Amino acid sequence: MDDDSQLVALAQGGDEQAFADLFRRHGDAVFRLALSILGQGFAAEAQDVVQEVFLKVYHALASFRGEAQVSSWIYRITFNQAVNSKALARHQRPHLAEAVLSRAAAAEPGPHAQAETAQRDRVLGECIQALPEVYQSALRLYYWLGASVGEAAVLLDVPENTAKSYLHRARQLLGGMLKERGF
Amino acid sequence: MDSSEAEIDRLLRRSMAAPVPRLPPDFDLVLSRKLGRSSERPNRYGQILLAGYGVISAVASIAVMRGQGLGWGMVAAMTLGPLAMLEAARRLRRGSLLGRSTGRGLEAPE
Repeated sequence: MDDDSQLVALAQGGDEQAFADLFRRHGDAVFRLALSILGQGFAAEAQDVVQEVFLKVYHALASFRGEAQVSSWIYRITFNQAVNSKALARHQRPHLAEAVLSRAAAAEPGPHAQAETAQRDRVLGECIQALPEVYQSALRLYYWLGASVGEAAVLLDVPENTAKSYLHRARQLLGGMLKERGF
Repeated sequence: MDSSEAEIDRLLRRSMAAPVPRLPPDFDLVLSRKLGRSSERPNRYGQILLAGYGVISAVASIAVMRGQGLGWGMVAAMTLGPLAMLEAARRLRRGSLLGRSTGRGLEAPE
């Protein structure tokens, strides 16, 4: 029995400290996974997802029988919770990409280059939004949150080669989409 | 990685470069407060409901038993007997939960 299973067993018996330890072990990973699904600028919503996930885990502890690894179970709950929260979050704050645009544009030297970069980043952002959720999540984990392919694979609960192929396929799809839109 | 994929890789690295948010240091406290609230509410509600049901059914059954001419001894036994059985079942359940906390009740992961 690994450490997580022991903590779950203790938490099932009502040990609050064991549940707190479970949060300490997985809280950051759950937050990163939630961020990777929700996207940049949704840190507050990602925190809400973390709360919801651990509330669900707490109330579902009694039914956890150990068929899957504890971490896989928690990350699966996180993925579903974050995907459900995403539509609402993006509906409430649809103009977020503008802030990202101005930051990216400021880094370029001339006004023409700035406008071009801003336009390309906006289109790139839209293209990323059109990708399947797992591809988006893999991209953000790898390029934004600095996760290795191995870490992304653990969080997405897939083998490392699958995570690698998600990234490869996502880049290919983005290349095609950008070409279609004249970039 | 071919040249067009490498170009997308470069674009992604540049456009996604942004500070990474972190969970606030006191987030575990916020979570434990939330957990406390969420597990308290249904328990308190359930206890009130159960207690109300218990009192009403006890009064009704006592009235019926007395109406049938049973003595107070028999009425007390018939009312308190099930309560004793409930308490015994609760103690048994608590015992089995404690057993699980030592790992005996949980399947080993693969």
